[in-house]
Amino acid sequence: MAQPVIELNNVSKRYRLRRGWHVKSIRDEVERLAKRLIMRGAPTRDDFWALKDVTFALEKGEVLGLVGRNGAGKSTLLKILSHVTVPTTGSFVARGRLGALIEIGAGFHPELTGRENVFLNGSIMGMSRREVQEKFDRIVAFAEIERFIDTPIKHYSSGQQMRLGFSVAAHVDPEILLIDEILAVGDASFQAKCLNKLAELKEDDKTIILVSHNLSNITDYAKRVVWLDGGSVRMIGEANEVVDAYLEHVTSDGVTGEAKGSESTFDPDRDLAIGEVVVRNRDEVVQDRFDRGETVLIDVSYAARRAMPGAVFVVSIQDLHGYPLGGIATDPDSVKVNAAVEHGVLRLKLDPILFTKGAYTLSVHAMDPVTKRYYDIRRRAARILVDGHRATSREASGHIHYPHQWEHIR
Amino acid sequence: MLEAIRNTWRHRDLIVSFTLRDIKARYKQTGLGVTWAIVQPLSMMVVFTLVFSVFAKVPSDGLPYPIFAYSGLIFWTFFANSLTGGTLAMVANSPLIRKIYFPRETLLVSVLLASTFDLGIALLLFAAMFLYYKVALTITVLWMFPLLALQMLLTLGVTGLSSAAHVNYRDIGHALPLLTQLWMFATPVAYPIQVIPEWLRPLYMLNPMAPIIDGYRRAFLLGQAPDLPALAVSAAITVALSALALAVFKRAELTFADVI
Repeated sequence: MAQPVIELNNVSKRYRLRRGWHVKSIRDEVERLAKRLIMRGAPTRDDFWALKDVTFALEKGEVLGLVGRNGAGKSTLLKILSHVTVPTTGSFVARGRLGALIEIGAGFHPELTGRENVFLNGSIMGMSRREVQEKFDRIVAFAEIERFIDTPIKHYSSGQQMRLGFSVAAHVDPEILLIDEILAVGDASFQAKCLNKLAELKEDDKTIILVSHNLSNITDYAKRVVWLDGGSVRMIGEANEVVDAYLEHVTSDGVTGEAKGSESTFDPDRDLAIGEVVVRNRDEVVQDRFDRGETVLIDVSYAARRAMPGAVFVVSIQDLHGYPLGGIATDPDSVKVNAAVEHGVLRLKLDPILFTKGAYTLSVHAMDPVTKRYYDIRRRAARILVDGHRATSREASGHIHYPHQWEHIR
Repeated sequence: MLEAIRNTWRHRDLIVSFTLRDIKARYKQTGLGVTWAIVQPLSMMVVFTLVFSVFAKVPSDGLPYPIFAYSGLIFWTFFANSLTGGTLAMVANSPLIRKIYFPRETLLVSVLLASTFDLGIALLLFAAMFLYYKVALTITVLWMFPLLALQMLLTLGVTGLSSAAHVNYRDIGHALPLLTQLWMFATPVAYPIQVIPEWLRPLYMLNPMAPIIDGYRRAFLLGQAPDLPALAVSAAITVALSALALAVFKRAELTFADVI
């Protein structure tokens, strides 16, 4: 069997945390030495392990997804994979020319023209000037920047700069490719181009490590996924399994989830406070896992210290990243808080739920619609996990599956 | 050392790109453009002529003082500019260093080459001064090339150490202008070597730049070979320094991205 193209063995990375000023001055060093002499052996700096014992290997042609929350160590891992920094302990081997679609356009100089920057960036990424010359027309065409190629890039829009940066990086033609947030670049049509490029690279048997917050991109392209949590590998395995476990974990965090039977703690200082938010199925059984098309009941409990006839309650639904998908407000007539209420419960019925497979969080707030003042906000008060067919990023990007029919009309 | 040269050669295209970037970016959106490469040594020459020749009457080996001073100043300016640029190069390119891997020493070589371009421009004025002052060039001018090679190696050695140090200790950047200034006055730029007392000279010549700058002046203006024994000492110091710098730099560059 061929040797793995990428091999990491117990890779750990330590950063030294320095209080306040991250750049040492000679004075600090002298102070530190003095302290060390006085208090023998006592550590004077705090260590932070950004990666701990990360081990995995990749065969040629494999696509590996990398998921994890901000601060989980993804960026540090990418830095090690791209040779920008070295592991503190453990070993890392990469066999083959390595390219990175990470910080695209990092080498651009604002005063130089697009043309000059293509050559500059190309050579920074490891292409020879002749190679850039040969690919120049394709690079420029891919970036859709022909008209402005001899303009200094300080006059480019940020989208144009990113397109040009991506285009150069995409033409490096490496054997191993690191991709971070490919879809953060450009408008929808450019993103489609990027995905096509990615599919093309995959067909060319490139070894790819893909990082994306868009989990459907990950499950679309990667066969295996590594889930990093707090610098360690929490799970590694088949893409869908790992992504599902990750989703479950991310959304359960900080969510009260199941009813605890308690009367919950209302803030006594508020005029109106939102208590527990409980998700139930059509039979009023507490549940957070649903199939698309099922009925969902959302019970919101609240307390009011005085009559507030104008109060409006809003249940809003977010995707995994907190991106709002929609809010549903109470009608003028459905809730009338006409007296102090110790424990009221509002029920919102969603019938059917139209979300595609994934995890969603619910936030609830109550407000005065005239003054726009919030009485109370409960973020991530509950969650809904929707099972079923996962929308791929090609077929449909988004979270709503609309009831529909297709027909040929001509 | 050989491996380092080979590695540098392998990345020549990157060096060319960085060099072109440095040269182009320096003169974009300037009114005078490359003329700035002449302005610096020229204005220093005027000041030095006033101070050292008109007011203080420093000897100049029997040559017109302006051309005497300029012969030292252009090569010193080349040294000082590449020293400053090289020292600051890592930090100036920190966005790149934090994000992309490439051999970091290419930045040092590029700074040096971009300064060489400026030197070329400044040499044009030097040529004009030869015509104006009717000074004859002799074959000894060819000494310029080994002298330049030695000076460039010295620059790489010093900037290899200073740039790596600057990444960790920004104090270096603050001290640099002062140190460069002091170094210039410890080098026969504005005055001939003969003004240094005989007893002090062995110590004085330990400054590796001293026999180099003196050597240019002999080669261009006096039709003499450089002071070879002194130059040999300078070369030995330079080689030792470069070897040390290479080892230090290659070790330090591994963690540039973490501390920069």
